[in-house]
Amino acid sequence: MFRLIKDINIKFMSMTKAPILLSSLLIIVSLLSISVKGFNFGIDFSSGYIVQLNFTNQVSVLQIQEKLAGSGLSDSTVQLYGSSNDVLIKLKDEETFQKTNINNQLIKIFADEKFEIIKLEYVGAQVGSELREKGEWAMLIALFSILIYVAMRFEFIYGLGAITALIHDVIITLGVFSIFDLTFDLSVLAAILAVIGYSLNDSIVVFDRVRENNIVLRKMPIKDVLDKSINQTLSRTLVTSLTTLLVVISLLIFGGDAVKNFSIAMLLGIIIGTYSSIFIASTSLSYFGIKRPEQS
Amino acid sequence: MYKYPTWKYILVMAVLAYAVIYSLPNFYNTYPSIVAKTFDSKDITEADLLALSEESSLTFKGVNRNNIFFESIDDQLSAYNILTKLKSYSFTLSNYNHIPKWLDSINAQPISLGLDLKGGVHFLLQIDNQNVKKSRLNKLESNLRNYLIDNGIRYNSTVSEADKVTFKLIETSIDSKILNTLSDIFSDYEISSRKTDEGIAIVANLSEESITNDVKAAMQKNLTILRSRVNELGVSQPIIQRQGKDRIIVQLPGLQDSTRAKNILGSTATLEFRLTKGSSDDWVASQTIGTNTVSESILYKSKDGSPVLLSRNVIASGKDIEGANSGFDSQTNQPAVFVNLSSMGASNMLETTSRNIGNKMAVVFVEEDKNQVINIATIREAFSKRFQITGLDLQEAKDLAILLRSGSLSAPMSIIEERTVGPSLGSENIISGRDSMLLGMILVVLFMFIYYKKFGVIANIALIVNILIITATLSLFQATLTLSGIAGIVLTVGMAVDANVLIYERIREEILNGNSPNASIGAGYNKAFSTISDANITTLIAAIALLTIGTGVVKGFAVTLVIGILSSMFTAIVGTRALVSIIYENRSNKGLSI
Repeated sequence: MFRLIKDINIKFMSMTKAPILLSSLLIIVSLLSISVKGFNFGIDFSSGYIVQLNFTNQVSVLQIQEKLAGSGLSDSTVQLYGSSNDVLIKLKDEETFQKTNINNQLIKIFADEKFEIIKLEYVGAQVGSELREKGEWAMLIALFSILIYVAMRFEFIYGLGAITALIHDVIITLGVFSIFDLTFDLSVLAAILAVIGYSLNDSIVVFDRVRENNIVLRKMPIKDVLDKSINQTLSRTLVTSLTTLLVVISLLIFGGDAVKNFSIAMLLGIIIGTYSSIFIASTSLSYFGIKRPEQS
Repeated sequence: MYKYPTWKYILVMAVLAYAVIYSLPNFYNTYPSIVAKTFDSKDITEADLLALSEESSLTFKGVNRNNIFFESIDDQLSAYNILTKLKSYSFTLSNYNHIPKWLDSINAQPISLGLDLKGGVHFLLQIDNQNVKKSRLNKLESNLRNYLIDNGIRYNSTVSEADKVTFKLIETSIDSKILNTLSDIFSDYEISSRKTDEGIAIVANLSEESITNDVKAAMQKNLTILRSRVNELGVSQPIIQRQGKDRIIVQLPGLQDSTRAKNILGSTATLEFRLTKGSSDDWVASQTIGTNTVSESILYKSKDGSPVLLSRNVIASGKDIEGANSGFDSQTNQPAVFVNLSSMGASNMLETTSRNIGNKMAVVFVEEDKNQVINIATIREAFSKRFQITGLDLQEAKDLAILLRSGSLSAPMSIIEERTVGPSLGSENIISGRDSMLLGMILVVLFMFIYYKKFGVIANIALIVNILIITATLSLFQATLTLSGIAGIVLTVGMAVDANVLIYERIREEILNGNSPNASIGAGYNKAFSTISDANITTLIAAIALLTIGTGVVKGFAVTLVIGILSSMFTAIVGTRALVSIIYENRSNKGLSI
């Protein structure tokens, strides 16, 4: 038998101070950043254009910027993309593009260059705000349904514990995106919802064991029951997180730019989720107080 | 030891057969192809297509039903150019999957790839509601005015607001009978009278319902027009779908030239035919001295920007055009559009041209607020139904013919969302998806083997079957696979083994507690079951919440995640149990390779 962890008995419940302190700090910093700085929304939520062009001749960022500015499009970001033939341009939603479409404008702006449109994404203001609203709803619906499910399957206290851990995970993941200015688009939202489902798995596995031990070991103090349950499920928690991390890392390496933000969000979510299912979920259980079976 | 029931073995075998058969089509080659259709929707035989090969001296890779398929895209495109000139059939570019007939007969098809994987354009178009309202209001105003004039009811002024028209009357009172008749005639509107400072006014209100009906009708017409325009672009398997009350989704897979597509789809362009009235000298004169020739004409600009004066009367316009084709003028060999007028338009044209031989007629290209004279020609003889228009380049002539054939949009539509992926990026994305999936699989499979030995191999077999089930299900339901969908599958690979990890850890615990191997297996599977279902159901809840957002990127991910969760529960619990039973059931085991 090859085991990562052998018969251990870590006293998690006697060292709750450090994790609580760390998590509180992370949550405060995240919330501050989210409310003060906000997110670097991708065009899915903020509206505008992203255009990736492949020029036959080599070009420079300055050259492209000058041409755009010459056509009155100074409010744009330009960056080279992999080579000096490929350029990524982000543009605000301009009314002129609606009248004569952006493709024609680009052809006019870069009239003396040969280029091919590799990618063009446009989200109008109305669609952007609709997507944001739908995203917020999806997140709320997911959290609420999970609360109800866990409360039904377990007891309300467990549901509360699971949701505490989840909100913790979501806030910190969002916080990292805000602090480091990572692009927040639809795929990131998808990743966060996947993380909600996934990190809950870990908490549920622990809770399942707590529930079982709570009945079998009815004379044991609750702290020890929680410790024992976490220890018993620890190797499973770590193995599963590891296999999922392996696939997310391969997505990050090979998946290309389209899934980069998604992978980063998943990566963060899995790490934070694993940490919270070990340190936060059960701590909140003992804090909220579980019903013990009657002593006979 | 507990015997694994036979029906579960049968179930596992059935699911395995399903997974293998329906994922099979994905392993056959796909060739670029051209689909031929007769203009009168008759069937085409393979012999007909082979005859085409003779006629055009092209070599085909093969034919199947109405598909001609080719080795490479270059072959396909060059053949397309030659074949379309033959004009014996209508041709569209497509892809042909060279799958055996028996697979085809049970409806087994390869997965359809999303636009981000095969390249193409996705548009979300929104109808201009304001425009619909405005044109309705204009119609109401002119109808009401005509009625008032015809019935000798005199008015001072009219005011047209957001959703109502007000006619201020000269009279200070109005007979209620007249109001009743008006209400009967204009039953779509709410007609009322209102006292004003100077007298009385008739107010016609547009009801919310009638605007909704107008938008509905305009949407219906625009859908038809967009369909016929898209058909002209020669794209295979386009999607044109209504979304909500006032939006239309257009997806054009494999489209190379999105610029042209956008110009054609959104165009409200049409033509007007008018006589010239006055020369440019008149215009100059009117500017300097103020002669009154100009008051009867309208100033237009020609293509080179020079001023042209045209009559206020339109002889015929886009709505009178029944058919249009592009081609070349037989004498000058210039690109031309050949136009067919409806009988109404034709009689009008005949009347005007026979009275104006020797005069000049102009063709005006009208698009929203931009008008441009594309051609002025002297009328040499009277003509009615058929004639040609020159003065455009070849591409312009082709596009104009398409627009005239399809008719003009009944209200302008604007693009509110667009996602264009070039073909090269599409194939790059396929490679990215494939590579990340392969690496993820290899890492997980290796880890499971090292960590759980023989039981790890069993979990790995389940994992591979799980991928097959996902592939088969996506293929069977023809769900679109996108890059985010692949990400969902990759994620499933990592998460699917979770169920086995839970079971195996439980088995290990039982063994460490001193239980017999066979008892440990039983206990492991039984005790882990409720945990596994709880954990998976919560992920399922999150995935379903994602589905409610319903947009491309997120939807693809959520769909594969849902399928993956369900199939992994089956393979990890029922599937691996069957394998474990085959290996361990009928012998006394000293230890387990776990």
